[in-house]
Amino acid sequence: MTQPLLEVQDLHTVFRTKDGVVKAVDGVSFELTPGETLGIVGESGCGKSVTALSIMRLQRPGRIVSGKVMFKGQDLTRLTESEMREIRGKEIAMIFQDPMTSLNPVFNVGWQVGEPTRLHNGWGAKRALASAVSMLGRVGIPSAAARAEDYPHQFSGGMRQRAMIAMGLTMTPEVLIADEPTTALDVTIQAQILDLLRHVNREFGTATILITHNLGVVAGMCQRVIVMYAGRVVESGPTPDVFAHPKHPYTWSLLRSIPRLDAEKHEPLRPIEGVPPNLIDLPSGCVFHPRCAFRIDRCTRDVPALLQINDTQHAACWVTQAGGELKGA
Amino acid sequence: MIGPSRVAELDMPAVGIETGAARPAQSYWNESWERLRANRFGMAAGALILVLALIALLAPVFSLITNVQPQSINLDETFVRPGLRHLLGTDELGRDTLTRLIWGARVSLGVAFLTVAMSLTVGSTVGMVSGFYGGWIDDVLMRFVDVVLSIPAIFLFILMSLLLRPNAITLAAIVASVGWGSVARLVRGEVLSVKQRDFILATRSIGARDMRLMLRHLLPNVLPVLIVAASLGVGQIILIESALDFLGLGIQPPTPSWGNMLTNSQSYFFRSGFLVAFPGITIFITVLASNLFGNAVRDAFDPRLKS
Amino acid sequence: MLAKYVARRFLASVVVILGVTLITLVLMNTTRGSYVPGIDLNPALRPEDIARLRASLGLDRPFYEWYLGWLWSVLHGDFGRSMIDGSPVMAHILDRLPNTLELTTTAIVIGVLISVPLGVIGALRRGSKTDHALTVVSVAGFAVPQFWMGLMLILIFSVTLQQHGLPWLPSSGAFSAYNGGDFFDRLLHLILPATVLSFFYTSIWSRFIRSSMLEVLSQDYIRTARAKGMSERRVVYLHGLRNALIPLITLIGLELPGLVSGGLVVEVVFGWPGIGKLAFERALQYDYSTVMGVTFFATLLVIAGNLLADLLYGVLDPRIRYG
Repeated sequence: MTQPLLEVQDLHTVFRTKDGVVKAVDGVSFELTPGETLGIVGESGCGKSVTALSIMRLQRPGRIVSGKVMFKGQDLTRLTESEMREIRGKEIAMIFQDPMTSLNPVFNVGWQVGEPTRLHNGWGAKRALASAVSMLGRVGIPSAAARAEDYPHQFSGGMRQRAMIAMGLTMTPEVLIADEPTTALDVTIQAQILDLLRHVNREFGTATILITHNLGVVAGMCQRVIVMYAGRVVESGPTPDVFAHPKHPYTWSLLRSIPRLDAEKHEPLRPIEGVPPNLIDLPSGCVFHPRCAFRIDRCTRDVPALLQINDTQHAACWVTQAGGELKGA
Repeated sequence: MIGPSRVAELDMPAVGIETGAARPAQSYWNESWERLRANRFGMAAGALILVLALIALLAPVFSLITNVQPQSINLDETFVRPGLRHLLGTDELGRDTLTRLIWGARVSLGVAFLTVAMSLTVGSTVGMVSGFYGGWIDDVLMRFVDVVLSIPAIFLFILMSLLLRPNAITLAAIVASVGWGSVARLVRGEVLSVKQRDFILATRSIGARDMRLMLRHLLPNVLPVLIVAASLGVGQIILIESALDFLGLGIQPPTPSWGNMLTNSQSYFFRSGFLVAFPGITIFITVLASNLFGNAVRDAFDPRLKS
Repeated sequence: MLAKYVARRFLASVVVILGVTLITLVLMNTTRGSYVPGIDLNPALRPEDIARLRASLGLDRPFYEWYLGWLWSVLHGDFGRSMIDGSPVMAHILDRLPNTLELTTTAIVIGVLISVPLGVIGALRRGSKTDHALTVVSVAGFAVPQFWMGLMLILIFSVTLQQHGLPWLPSSGAFSAYNGGDFFDRLLHLILPATVLSFFYTSIWSRFIRSSMLEVLSQDYIRTARAKGMSERRVVYLHGLRNALIPLITLIGLELPGLVSGGLVVEVVFGWPGIGKLAFERALQYDYSTVMGVTFFATLLVIAGNLLADLLYGVLDPRIRYG
């Protein structure tokens, strides 16, 4: 059994607002083993980005109020800021959704991609640039040496994202967190970027956390997936298993609501009823119960924990934990 | 609904999060007024301006009561320090400072309001026409505005004062002749952004004529910007006008204005520091009130701009 | 492409200059029909003198001829002659110009040097007592009339200090007439006027920098920078400030007319021998042509300053430089 590389244990991150305390991350736990690609999937606002930012300790103005993030024997939530800076960009790297706004418009790409090596290795400008150019080449940017002198606005969307990936990998981190890396891109470019991420995962052995709301992306990329809802993990397991027989009604509903090539003709798309909950004022019991097709009485009162359902899958659902099946409703 | 500013704080993409209570629907103007009312500093500043305007209007009444005229010279009582008989002292000709300040308010506020009215009228007309029609009309008009705004205003005012002996009205016209430029740009900007919105297209499609569109649809949307410009403008104009008066190119003595009360002040520095301080403090307080009120109005209309 | 951008801005400037000349001459035209400014103040002028004066000012020729003639002279550096003593306006301008430039550029430099740190502090300590204090000072700062501030500073730092036998700051002129004129002397004379001129703009600019910084710091690329593991100081000053300063240049360009205007008032209050004071003195003597010439020149200064600002902006923002 390989030791997990990263282990998030019961993480709680909150935001204080004028209207109340928003529990953005409400008891999230998961593991990441070396070299694996883990998907975190959920709707906008479910807390997946905040979880990632919390791992990096970039969650301000939010606060991590409890829980642990174990990485190589250290609890990241307890490190000092300068200790954390040693880890950011070097051992755990993060790339973001919109490469146009995520790159600084006044510095050229080569300079930005080389910045981590100047920061963490103390390399001089020339050496950093050389390594940046090499990295840019490896992520598939043609004429990398010339392109490195260009500015972000001179790159196309796909190339920018490649540059961001290069920037994230330049210190060969052990973990790469990709927050919606393809959402802002054209569909054809999306496929290329995902290919690149797969390639990177193989070649560098970097464990990847892929955050997305797109189930299709997860299906193609991730060995394991966790499903988040309202700040909590509601299901986790190997991707094929979760997709084939989901053990949480939310996952089940999600899968039913997307159009599938292999579906029966005339089968209607079923959107999930209701709206996502107000994170300041969560429903009692299981957070999903107001929208759940399978709810029973207990769901309105008690909060289900994330428990093992079968050999490989975990789910936080009273119904499936009791052995119930999720079948067409 | 959690408003946009709060969502930014949440650092998450905006989503239709529902709060429990439903608030009654209010018009934009009502909402803005509520916001303004909640801003105590802003309301106080606005009240101050109103009070000053009132004082200015009632200047003759004041003189009637105290039996002191702003022009009454009394060479026995020059440079009197502030005291019971003359609350703010007297000037180099024995005239009561407080009375002169009150009468001076008539000039300063009067010219300021008049100038603002003129600037806004001309500026918004030009801005609306320019923004609405676009094309070469827009190019020509905006080039013209560029030209007018490039000339350092004071030089232009000096020139014009040489040509037209200024009284309050012509002075207002002179200052407005430059001021309309920034208003025009402002209004044009608003018009351009409103023009994009679909309801303009919809209104056109039901056959509304240009004039109607401009007056009944564009103007109400442009009004907030104009109101903010007016509130802030009063203060800015007072600064300009008092500088002109100070230079001797505006309102001429013996009519008192806050600016011309300081014209010869350098000659009596050694005699009375108060004489230098009081008119300036008055200007400062008035302009400050105008700025604060203008900011409050701006925040009331568009709370997202609040820092 | 930077070259194209510069060319475009230059062309726009030329158009504006032409427009200014038009306005200038329209103004002069309103008087040339019958009234020569100041003429009714000098009863000793005989009709022949008046006619001569008008001829010398070109007032008896048709408008377009006059306009072209005027443009031609201006292009050759002839900005007209004084109505008082016939001396060339350009000579007076060139004589005083260095002083005005000295005052104005010092004010801009002081303004930037003070407003940037204040704005950054305000942004970093947003909502704190320091921020509120700075905001209050800023808002108060642009309610103070410049001429009055000048008077008050003279009162405090020149008059009162002198009265109490303490060392005081000079309040007029650019340098002392007696054994003065060296660098330090000039510096002393520069202090009060430059402070007054820059004060107003420091208030405005510090507020502006503050909001510019706040906006920049909320951008995604700042989050990326932090994720790379750099110190907060580097994030703010290298990645953040570099972006926040760019719009300031545009703002300064827009404020130039006001700066030059304010410069006139400050020059008058402090007896600073610049072109503003020149215009004022000559205005008092109804020397219309000199005032006209100086006004036009001042406008050219503003336009040139704007062009400079545009250029600087183009250089600093790579989105313009490499379009």
